[in-house]
Amino acid sequence: MATDYVDAGHAVDAVSLTKTPQKAPPVAQGVTYERILKAREEPHNWLTYYGAYDGQRYSPLDQINRQNVRKLAPAWVFQAGSTGLHAGKSTYSFEASPIVVDGVMFVSGWDGWVWAIDARTGSELWQYKHAIPYDVSLCCGNVNRGVAVADGKVFVATLNAHIIALDAETGKKVWDQTYGDVRAGESATVAPLVVKDMVIVGSSGGEFGSRGHADAFKRETGERVWRCYMVPKPGEPGSETWPSDGEAWQRGGANCWVTSTFDPELNLLYFGTGNPCPDFDGGVREGDNLFTDSGVAVDVDSGEIRAHFQYTPHDVWDYDSTMEHILFDLDGQKLAAHFDKNGFLYILDRTNMEPVRVAPFVDRIDWGEVDEKGNVTPLVFPDKEGDPVHFWPGPAGAKEWTHAAYSPKTELLYAPVQDVGATATRRRRDFKEGMPYWGAGVAVDLEDMAGSISAFDPRTGSERWRWRNDIPMCASVLATGGDLVFAGEPTGEFNALDAESGELLWQFQCGSGHHSSPCSYSIDGRQYIAVPTGWGAWTEGFLPGMLGAGQGSALFAFALPEE
Amino acid sequence: MSEVAQGRAAEELPGLDRQNGATLGRILGRGRVGHAEEGPDGKMHATVRILEDQLVYDPGILVMPHEGTLELELINDDTNTHCAVLPNNGNPQFIWLVNSARGTATLTLDGPGYYWYGSRTGNDEGRGLTGAILVQGDAPPEARLDRPPQPRP
Repeated sequence: MATDYVDAGHAVDAVSLTKTPQKAPPVAQGVTYERILKAREEPHNWLTYYGAYDGQRYSPLDQINRQNVRKLAPAWVFQAGSTGLHAGKSTYSFEASPIVVDGVMFVSGWDGWVWAIDARTGSELWQYKHAIPYDVSLCCGNVNRGVAVADGKVFVATLNAHIIALDAETGKKVWDQTYGDVRAGESATVAPLVVKDMVIVGSSGGEFGSRGHADAFKRETGERVWRCYMVPKPGEPGSETWPSDGEAWQRGGANCWVTSTFDPELNLLYFGTGNPCPDFDGGVREGDNLFTDSGVAVDVDSGEIRAHFQYTPHDVWDYDSTMEHILFDLDGQKLAAHFDKNGFLYILDRTNMEPVRVAPFVDRIDWGEVDEKGNVTPLVFPDKEGDPVHFWPGPAGAKEWTHAAYSPKTELLYAPVQDVGATATRRRRDFKEGMPYWGAGVAVDLEDMAGSISAFDPRTGSERWRWRNDIPMCASVLATGGDLVFAGEPTGEFNALDAESGELLWQFQCGSGHHSSPCSYSIDGRQYIAVPTGWGAWTEGFLPGMLGAGQGSALFAFALPEE
Repeated sequence: MSEVAQGRAAEELPGLDRQNGATLGRILGRGRVGHAEEGPDGKMHATVRILEDQLVYDPGILVMPHEGTLELELINDDTNTHCAVLPNNGNPQFIWLVNSARGTATLTLDGPGYYWYGSRTGNDEGRGLTGAILVQGDAPPEARLDRPPQPRP
C-alpha cells in the first residue's frame, strides 16, 4: 500500500530558528582604503587585522588604565559552540582578531563561521556558515584568524581555500573565488587584508608539501589581480638555492598563512613565509631554500618580490617565519621588528630588509647561533636517519604565530614567549600529494617548560622586563594608550600588565585557554577590551602539556563599570 | 543508486549493520552508496530515506559528481520522528521529519571533499542517523599550484 506522506516542506536556514535578525547596521559602507590608512585616527574602531597596517596591535584608547584596571569586568560574552561532526573536531578554537566598525563587531570562528555582533551588547546580528569538507587537510586545527571589512563587505578565507565576500549588512555571499587546491593539501586560515582596491590572502599547507603563495583579488568583483609564489621555479631569482636537478622546489613550502603588514609610502607588503618541506629532512632539498622562513617585501600593485631577509636558511627545525613584521619609525629609521620562531628578535631596515640588530628573546636556544647581522651557524639538527635530536626552541618556536605588540608611547615591543623544546627523529619518506610531509617523527617536551610576556627595547634588542609564567604564553598581546599590556594564558586567565614594569595589575579567568588576538574599541565613550578564547588548534605543537584542557569557544568583552 | 558490499566487517561481526545488534546503534559511515543525478537545469538531484527501525539515512553516502547545487528529497519511512541538519554554504539547512513525512532541501557545496549531516533529535546521530555527502572533482585550474603533476597515494 502506498504511503500517504505528510508534507515536511522545504528545509530552512538553521538561523531562522534563532532570534538572530540577520541584519546589521550599514557601518561597513563607509570603510574605505583611506580610512584604513588612517585607522589609528579613529581609535574607537579596530578597522583591520592588526588595528592598523603597521601591525603594532596598539590601541591609543586610555580610559582603561593602570589606575582603574582593577575595576575591569565582563560587559558581555558571545558563545557559539558547534553542531554535528565537523573537520578537526578535537582542534577547533577561536584564533581570530575581531574587527570593530562603529559599534559592530565582525569576527570569524572555526569551521567556516562568520558573525556580526552588536559590540555594545554581544547580541548576534547575523551569521554566515561556509560548509567545510570533513576531510580537508589541516595541519594545525580547525581555525580562522579573522576577517577584513571594506566598502560594505566582509572578506574571509575558508578552510577549503576560498576567499569569499559577504554583504556586511546581511551576511549573504557576494562573490566567491577558489585560491587553493585542497587535493594538494592546501587550505586557508589567514585573515585577509584590504589594500587599495584589493583583498590580499595567503596559503596554508606547509606540512603537506605545497608551494606557498600570496594572492590578490579585486575586492569589488573577486577578479584575480596577482599571485606571488614564495618558492621560485628553476631560472627565477632564488632558484639557485634549491637543487637544480630535483623536484624539491615543487613541494618547497614557504606558505603565507599569517596576514602581512603594509607600508603605504614604500608600497610594500611584508609577508612572513613558512617552513620548507619536508620540515625536518633537509637532505632532499640542499641549499638555503629561498624564500622559506623569510621576511619578504612584495610590491602591492604587481605582486613582485622587492626584497627579502631569510631568518633560518635551510631550516630543519620547522621554524616558520610567518609571524608579523611590526612596522615603526625610530630615530629617523624605517624599521620592522620580527620575533622569529628560532628564538631571535630581528630589527630590520624595512626599505631593504637588511638587519639592523639581532638579539635572543628566549632563554634556551641551542639549535644554532645567530650573530648580530643575522648570520646563522647551525649546531643541533636532525640529519641522521632514525637518530633522535633534542633542540630548543621546539617547532612551535620561541614565539608562535600569535602576535607581539609595539607601543609608540613606551617605545617598547611586547612578545608572548614560549620556552619549550622538542625531539625530532629524521624519517625520510616519499612525497605524495595531500599527505603530511614532515620527514621526521616529532615530540614536543611535556615537562621543563616556561613562558613569559617580555618587553624589549628595539634600540638595543635588550629585555626591559619579563612577566613570568610556568608554561608558555601562546596568545597575541595588545598594548594600549592606558599603559597596559593585555595577554591571555593557556590556563584561561586574561591578564593586564603594567606596560612600564610588567607588574600584573588585573586578571580574569575566562574558563578556557587563550590562543587568539584581543583588540580594543569604544562606543559612546566607553572603552572595551575584546578577547576571543577557547583552547585547541595545534596544541600538540605549542603546548602538549595542556592537550587535555577543555576547548571552549567564548568571546569576552570587558569594560569599566558604568557610572 | 547502487548496492555495495558491506565489507568484511559485517561478516566478521554479525549484527554490526543493524540496531541493537553487535552494539547499541549502528556505526557511522556504512550503508549504501547513492549517486545524485544531474538535471537539465545544471542542478543535481537525489533522494535520501530514513529506513524503518534502522536509524540510518539511505543511501548512507550520497555522491555529487562535482561541486554545485543539490536538490535533495528527504523521506522519513520510519515510525518515529527525526530531522536533518544539512551542510550548505550560507547557513546549515534544517528540516523536521515526522513519521511518514516527505520534504526537500536545496544545498550548495563547493567541494571536493565529504560533509557529514545528521538528525539532532535525541541521540539519533550516535545511533546511526549520520549521513555523508561526498563531492567529487578538483579545484578549478586557476586555483591549482603551478608545478608539474605530483604523485598521489
